[in-house]
Amino acid sequence: MKETTKQIEVIPSSNLYKWAKNFKRVQDRFFDNQYKIRRLQQIEDFIYLNNFNKVYHEYEVDLELEMSTVESKSDADLILITHQGYSRYPLSGIIEKVSQWLEECPNLYLCLNRHYLNIDNKKVDIDLPDSFLPAITSWLTQSLPNAVVVDISRNYVDRGSHFTWVCPDRHYYIKKI
Amino acid sequence: MTRKLIECFDDYPMINNKDEITRHNYIRYRLGRLKHEFWLKNRKNKEKIYVEEYDWFILNNLKPGNTCMFGSAGYYLEDLIENLTVVETWNVVKGFYPKAHIVKHRQELEKLFPNTFDNFVVNNNRGDHWVVDAPTEHMIEYTKTMHDGALLFYSFRDTQIVFNRFIDQYEHFLNWAKSLEKVCDLHLIWHDIKFAKKQKISNNIEYDIMENPDTSNGNLKFVFQYKRNDYKLDMSYYNG
Repeated sequence: MKETTKQIEVIPSSNLYKWAKNFKRVQDRFFDNQYKIRRLQQIEDFIYLNNFNKVYHEYEVDLELEMSTVESKSDADLILITHQGYSRYPLSGIIEKVSQWLEECPNLYLCLNRHYLNIDNKKVDIDLPDSFLPAITSWLTQSLPNAVVVDISRNYVDRGSHFTWVCPDRHYYIKKI
Repeated sequence: MTRKLIECFDDYPMINNKDEITRHNYIRYRLGRLKHEFWLKNRKNKEKIYVEEYDWFILNNLKPGNTCMFGSAGYYLEDLIENLTVVETWNVVKGFYPKAHIVKHRQELEKLFPNTFDNFVVNNNRGDHWVVDAPTEHMIEYTKTMHDGALLFYSFRDTQIVFNRFIDQYEHFLNWAKSLEKVCDLHLIWHDIKFAKKQKISNNIEYDIMENPDTSNGNLKFVFQYKRNDYKLDMSYYNG
């Protein structure tokens, strides 16, 4: 190591998480306002076309969605989850949380960030397709026997340019039976 | 107002006047380089040098000779590393660190620095991410600049690699690292692969929402030696 007269202070690294909340605002500034992320339009269209009028939205990044919201899950006809923090739950925790949401409201629109799933690297004890994206749907379907799981995601190889950290990429409509 | 629906960055042009591009690129560069913050802290400080703790481990394990830091904001360690070469892929770096070498593609490395380095460091380089399964092709290019016996310090994050996350991820990345011996004569001499440990908060069904450990350096850390397997790292500097 090169010699120095300065005092060296070794410090722990900072945490990337603090950036996450501002991703959409930061990225929006790179463009003019003539565009909209398609998956956000998809959420608005789903809510409008299925006549949901009381949406409880839990989010991390402000997505500026146009919809009628309510303050409480118990007043909602649809729970919308775009908060990617839930994707960082263990798999079993995601299923527990989905079950809890379905108890509070029978209709759930769940967005998951594929890149965080199974974040704690736990062994998965159910048979799943080898391909990751169908495997996510299969895992949800098999883990939620008392619900209908509809995969409304778009399949593509994510190379980091798809705004996934603005709005998670895997979209599911889940209805309690 | 009708707005174009886009899927990804490439679907719509960014604001393209020169000042905006420079500003955007600096922000984008900084978003992916937490270590740049150390540069900002160190450059005007006449008394102290701040070093991130995993970089401290690397500094104390470098072999004598030439060191390349690729895509890792290595310029912040300029006062502590002899014969340092900083290579980045973002032109914007030239603006604040004129000594940086800028390359567009890793294939340029061999022409610029054939058989040159005794140490090669790639520390959570965003440009190395978004590959399928693991960054093998990048490793092949790095070795083309390295002396026999050189060290390659390589760390990255699992969350930005394209792979099936339902498999055993520890095995996946360890097997990849070991496979490089046959692919490009890189011998794995040390690794630290860590994943988040999730526990319930209180008695309900909430968990912490934190990322995998060490978002600065990556939760997958490896040290390789090129064409040899005889280097002993000093682990007393590792606080993993």
